[in-house]
Amino acid sequence: MEFESYYEISRTADFIHTRNFTRVALQFPDELLKDSTRVVRALKDRLRVLDESDTNHSDSKSEVRLFVMADTTYGSCCVDEVGAAHANADCVIHYGHTCLSPTTTLPALFVFGKDSIDVPTCAKTLSQYSLSSGKPVLVLFGLEYAHSMLDIKQRLLDSFQTSSLGSELEVHFADVKCSSLDPSPHHENVVKGGEQASNAESGSSESIAGARHHIGGLFWELPKERRVKDCSLFWIGSENSAFANVVLTFNGCEIVRYDAKESWLVTDVSKQRRILKRRYYLVEKAKDAAIVGILVGTLGLAGYLHIIHQMKELITGAGKKAYTLVMGKPNPAKLANFPECGVFIYVSCAQTALMDSKEYLAPVITPFEATLAFSRGSQWTGAYVMEFQDLIDFSTPEEANRSDEARYSFLQGGYVEDWDSQENTEEENGAHALVTATEKALQLRDNRNSLIEGTARSGAEFFATRSFQGLDINNGSLEPEPYVIGRSGKASGYQDEKNR
Amino acid sequence: MVKFTAEELRRIMDYKHNIRNMSVIAHVDHGKSTLTDSLVAAAGIIAQEVAGDVRMTDTRQDEAERGITIKSTGISLYYEMSDESLKSYKGERHGNEYLINLIDSPGHVDFSSEVTAALRITDGALVVVDCIEGVCVQTETVLRQALGERIRPVLTVNKMDRCFLELQVDGEEAYQTFQRVIENANVIMATYEDPLLGDVQVYPEKGTVAFSAGLHGWAFTLTNFAKMYASKFGVDEAKMMERLWGENFFDPATKKWTSKNTGTATCKRGFVQFCYEPIKQIIATCMNDRKDKLWPMLQKLGVVMKSDEKDLMGKPLMKRVMQTWLPASTALLEMMIFHLPSPAKAQKYRVENLYEGPQDDVYASAIRNCDPEGPLMLYVSKMIPASDKGRFFAFGRVFSGKVSTGLKVRIMGPNYVPGEKKDLYVKSVQRTVIWMGKKQETVEDVPCGNTVAMVGLDQFITKNATLTNEKEVDAHPIRAMKFSVSPVVRVAVQCKVASDLPKLVEGLKRLAKSDPMVVCTMEESGEHIVAGAGELHLEICLKDLQDDFMGGAEIIKSDPVVSFRETVLERSCRTVMSKSPNKHNRLYMEARPMEDGLAEAIDDGRIGPRDDPKVRSKILSEEFAWDKDLAKKIWCFGPETTGPNMVVDMCKGVQYLNEIKDSVVAGFQWASKEGALAEENMRGICFEVCDVVLHADAIHRGGGQVIPTARRVIYASQLTAKPRLLEPVYLVEIQAPEQALGGIYSVLNQKRGHVFEEMQRPGTPLYNIKAYLPVIESFGFSSTLRAATSGQAFPQCVFDHWEMMSSDPLESGSQAAQLVADIRKRKGLKEQMTPLSDFEDKL
Repeated sequence: MEFESYYEISRTADFIHTRNFTRVALQFPDELLKDSTRVVRALKDRLRVLDESDTNHSDSKSEVRLFVMADTTYGSCCVDEVGAAHANADCVIHYGHTCLSPTTTLPALFVFGKDSIDVPTCAKTLSQYSLSSGKPVLVLFGLEYAHSMLDIKQRLLDSFQTSSLGSELEVHFADVKCSSLDPSPHHENVVKGGEQASNAESGSSESIAGARHHIGGLFWELPKERRVKDCSLFWIGSENSAFANVVLTFNGCEIVRYDAKESWLVTDVSKQRRILKRRYYLVEKAKDAAIVGILVGTLGLAGYLHIIHQMKELITGAGKKAYTLVMGKPNPAKLANFPECGVFIYVSCAQTALMDSKEYLAPVITPFEATLAFSRGSQWTGAYVMEFQDLIDFSTPEEANRSDEARYSFLQGGYVEDWDSQENTEEENGAHALVTATEKALQLRDNRNSLIEGTARSGAEFFATRSFQGLDINNGSLEPEPYVIGRSGKASGYQDEKNR
Repeated sequence: MVKFTAEELRRIMDYKHNIRNMSVIAHVDHGKSTLTDSLVAAAGIIAQEVAGDVRMTDTRQDEAERGITIKSTGISLYYEMSDESLKSYKGERHGNEYLINLIDSPGHVDFSSEVTAALRITDGALVVVDCIEGVCVQTETVLRQALGERIRPVLTVNKMDRCFLELQVDGEEAYQTFQRVIENANVIMATYEDPLLGDVQVYPEKGTVAFSAGLHGWAFTLTNFAKMYASKFGVDEAKMMERLWGENFFDPATKKWTSKNTGTATCKRGFVQFCYEPIKQIIATCMNDRKDKLWPMLQKLGVVMKSDEKDLMGKPLMKRVMQTWLPASTALLEMMIFHLPSPAKAQKYRVENLYEGPQDDVYASAIRNCDPEGPLMLYVSKMIPASDKGRFFAFGRVFSGKVSTGLKVRIMGPNYVPGEKKDLYVKSVQRTVIWMGKKQETVEDVPCGNTVAMVGLDQFITKNATLTNEKEVDAHPIRAMKFSVSPVVRVAVQCKVASDLPKLVEGLKRLAKSDPMVVCTMEESGEHIVAGAGELHLEICLKDLQDDFMGGAEIIKSDPVVSFRETVLERSCRTVMSKSPNKHNRLYMEARPMEDGLAEAIDDGRIGPRDDPKVRSKILSEEFAWDKDLAKKIWCFGPETTGPNMVVDMCKGVQYLNEIKDSVVAGFQWASKEGALAEENMRGICFEVCDVVLHADAIHRGGGQVIPTARRVIYASQLTAKPRLLEPVYLVEIQAPEQALGGIYSVLNQKRGHVFEEMQRPGTPLYNIKAYLPVIESFGFSSTLRAATSGQAFPQCVFDHWEMMSSDPLESGSQAAQLVADIRKRKGLKEQMTPLSDFEDKL
C-alpha cells in the first residue's frame, strides 16, 4: 500500500472521476518515470472500480484514457500543457516536485509524493530553534514533506504546552496553496505576491485581519504588524531550487534549513547568500550588453506572452536589440550558438529561472533582473522577485527621475554611452537625421587586417564583422570536384583513426 | 588685501606671450607646497607674514594633517614686472603684466598620477630639490615624465635655511653640495636630449637655478646678486653672473678675480664671497639680535623695514628681513618669466606629442600657433570635486580656440575612435571658471594657453577627455596621458548596512572620477573593488569614499588583495585534444610561453592587434626570432582583444578552418580572462592550434559546439605546460643614513624582498637602496620599516614587473597551490582546481 499512498492513487482517481475527464495526461519527472507503468495500472484499476460503483451513468461514458508524458520540454516542475495538447488531453496529473505555477489552458492535479521524515526529531529541532532565535519563526517546507506538516505542528504544540515558555513563542506555519489548479487565462486573476494584504478576499468574517504571503505554492498569513522581514525562516527540505528561491526572495531574513534526509539543522546558508551577490554582478554585466536574447522557457505559464512583450518593450526602450528564442532546457552549447547576444533573459517559472554557471558564455538572467538592468534609474536594493507574474504590473518610475547622465559601467570602470540617449538627440532635426543615417551607412570599415572586432549592435552587424563570411561558391575552377571516399565509423573514433 | 581681480586676470589671458603655465614638481617633502605659498603671497592672496605656514594649495583637511600634498591644485597668479627688470628680456611680450598658472603637485609616488595630469596642461616645471637630500627617486621620476611631455624645467635648490641654521656649513662646502645637486639633475636631463626642446640642462650662471628657503619665504638667483654687484664692480650683469658661479675666485685683499684658488686666506669663490657669506652674515646678525649692527647693513643693501617690524626678535625678525631683502616670489617669478616658455612658444613643439591626428590638419596647426581664433581644442586632465557634493569641475587646458559659458562642445572620451560614435557626447558648458587658490571666479570665456575649470560636463567625463566645438567632427583627440604607476593594489568594499548599496554605487562612481589613477570595478562574485597605486593611495581613496562621496555611510573594506596572472613555464608536454559537446569536432592545441619581452612589448602597445601585419611580423621576426610566415598567422590577442596572450594557427590544410576562427577567438577571449588555475588573467602564453577535426555539416560545427571546446582545450593546454603564477613586484627605493641600513635589510629579507643596488650619495651620509619587493608583502611595509629604523627610512614603491613564482601550483601543499586555493575561496569558486581530465578528451 506504500506505493498507492505515495502516488495518491485513490485521490487522483476520484479527481478524474468526479470531474469526468476522459483523456488524462500523467506527467512524470525523470526520476519517477520508472514507476509510471505501475501508476497507470493502479489508476486504471481504481477507475474501473469507481466506474462500476455508480453504474447508472456509466453506459454513456467511454473509458478514461491515460497518457504518460516524460522528458518535458521545459522544467519538469511546470505543467507541460503543450505536451498534453499533443495527446488532446483535457487534464494533467503532475507528479513529483512542482513550482505550482498557474496554468493557462488545462486543469491540473498535483501529486507531490511523500518523502519520509523523522517527525519527532524535526519537531524537537524546530522547538529548540524557536526557543533560541528570539524572533517569530516561520516554517516553510518542500512540498514533498507537506504530508507530515500536520504531525509536526501537533507535536510542536504539545511540546510547548509541556514547557512553560511555549506560550510566548510565535511560530507560523505555511500551508500548501492547493493541490489542483484550474486554468487562469487572464493574468489579472493571478494572486498577487509580495507583501500585499488581501483584505478584500478574506472579508470581515475571517478570523484575523492578517497579511497573506505566498511563494512557490506555499502561502501563510501573518498578523498585520508582522512582516516577513521580522521573522526567522525555518525551511524543512533539501537544498533545491525551491529553497534557493526562498533564500533569494527573503534575503533579509535569517534562514536555517532542516535537512530531512540527514535529520540535522544546517545554519550556514552563505552559499545561497553568495548567489544573490552573483546575481547583482550579472545585472551589472547585463547593462553592458548591446544585444539581448529572450529565451522562452515556458509555453504554458499564465502570462508568459505578456512578460515577453513587456521585456521586448523594455529592451528596445533601452536602445538595445532583442531577439526571441524558443529553447527547451537551455545549455551552454545551445546558447553559445548565439555569440552575438550579450545577455539572455530566461522567461520561465520561478524555480527553473536561476541558471548560473560559469560554463555560459553570456549571463542568463531573470525578467526581474532585466527590469533592473534595462530601466534607467532603477537600482538594486536587495528586494528580489522571482516569479514573473509579480512583475507584470511592476511599474518602474523610470521616466520620472531620468537624468541625462551617461551610464557608469562597473565592468569597464568608466562611463559608457547608452545608445538611446544618443539616438534621441539626433532625431531632433530631420535634415540632420538623414545625414547621420548615411554617415552610418558609409562608415569606414576597420581595415581587414585588424584583429579587433567592434561591438555589434544587431545580429546583422555581428555577421558583417565576422571574419568568416561563408563559403566562396565560385572559387576559380568550374570543374566538378573529383569523387572522394569519405571516412566511416563513429564520431568517437572513425575507422581510419583506430590505429592512432 | 587681494591685489587683483578676476577681470584683470581675464584681460591678461588674451596675451598669450605673457602667460606661463607651470607645475611645481619634486620628491616628497622637498617643500613644494611651502614654496608655492610664497609665490601666492606675492600675488596678494595670503599675507606675506604667514607665507610658509599656510600651505595654501593643500586645500584638504587630511593634506593639512599629514603635511603632504595629495591632490594637485591649480592657482592663477597675476604679476606685474617693472620695466627695468624686463629690459633684458628678449622674447615677445605684451606689456609688463604676467599671468602665471601654477599647479602644485604631490610628491609621494602613490599620487604621481596627479603629477602626470598636472604636467599635461603646463609648459614649464619648477623642480624643487632639497639642498641636503639632493636628487631623490621621485625627483628623477617626475623629471623624466616632464621631459617626456616636453616640459622645460627650471631648478630651485630649496631649504637653504637648513645650511645656515641647522647644519651651519661653511661656504665652500655648501657650494660643493649645491653644485652636486645641480649636476645630478643635469645628468637626468641630459639623457632626454630633444632637438626641438633644445638644451634643457640648468645653469646657475644663466639664471635657470634658484636658491630658496621656502619656509622663510626668501629666494635668489644669481641675477639678483649680479645686479647688485655689477654697478659696484663696473662690469655688466652677464659677466658678473658668470663670475658668481663655477671656478671663479676673488681675493678682496688684491681685488683680483682668478680662475683658481690662490691659497691666500682671503681668497674665496665668487659665489661664497658675494652670495653665501652676506646671507650668512645677515642671518647670524638677526638671530643674535644684534640690531645695532643690522640696521646699517640693511641700509647698505637698500632694504627698508617697516617700523613695527623693527620690534621683532630672533627668528621672526630674520624671516622678515630676508623676505624683504630677497623675496622668494620676485626671484622665482622672474626666473619663470624669463626662462620658461609661454604657451605660444611651447605649443609649437609640443603639438607633436599632444595631437593624435595628422600634423598638418587645421587642428594641429591651431594648436601649434596657439590660435585663439582657431577651432577649440581643450584637454581635460582631471576632475576636481566641487563644493556641492557630488559634482565636479572638469579641469584642463585650452590649447586652441576659446571656451565660453554656454558653448556646445563635443566631448571625445578616451575610447573615442575618429569617425565612430563610441564614447562621444555633445553637451554644453554651463560655466567657465578660473581658480584662484581656495576660491573660484566665474569668467565669460577662456582663450587658448590657459587652464580652465568647467561646470556641467562631469556626467560625461570619467577622468579625462578632449573637447572641441560641436561641428568639428574631423578633429582627432589629444593623446591620452600615460601614467607611470598602475593600480595593482585592490580592496573589496561593501556597505555595512545593506540598504546603503545605492549610496556606495554612487560614491564609487564619484571616486573613480576624482582620481585619475583609481579604478572602481566589480568582481565576478558581485563584490565592488577599488584599485589604487599603493596602500597610502587606497587609504586616502577609501576615506574620501566614505566621508565625501557617501555622506558618511559606513563601509567595510577587505584586506588588500593583489591580482595575479597565470602563465606557463614550458611548452605543453603533449598536444592536447578536446571534443565538442556533440563529439563531432576536435581541437588540438599546445601552449608555450612567449619569448622574453614579448608580453611587455604587447603591454606597451609596440605589438598589438591594430598593427599592420607586415610591421608586426617584422618586429616579431627581428626581435623575437619568430618565423615570418608564422607571425602572419596570429589569430588574436587576449584578453579583451589586446592582452598579452595570443592564438596562432599552426594547422596545415584543414578544411573549414576559417569558419571556426571566430568561435575559437571567442573561446580564447573568455579563457584568457579566467585562467584554469584561479580564474586570474593569463599572461605571456602563446596558444598554438595544431590540428582541427570538424564535422562536414556546418550546423554541427557552429559556435555552440566550438566555443566551449576552444575554452576547454585552452585550459587543457595551459595545465599541461607547467602552469605558474605571476605576482606583481614593486621597485622600492629607500633613502636612509648608514645606521638604518641593518634595519632595512632585515625588514626586506623578512618580506621576501631583495636588494639589487646600494649606493652612497656622494657628499652625504645617506644611502640609496633599490630593491624588489612582492606587492603582496608590501602591506604594512612602510610602517614596519619606519619602526625598524626608528623613522629614518621612507620607502617609495612603484609597480615594476610581473615575476614568476617558482613553486608549482599543481603540486598540493606548495606555496603557489595555497595561494591558488585562497584566491579560489575568495572568489567563491570550488576550492579544488578543475582537473585536467575535465578539459582533455581521449580518442
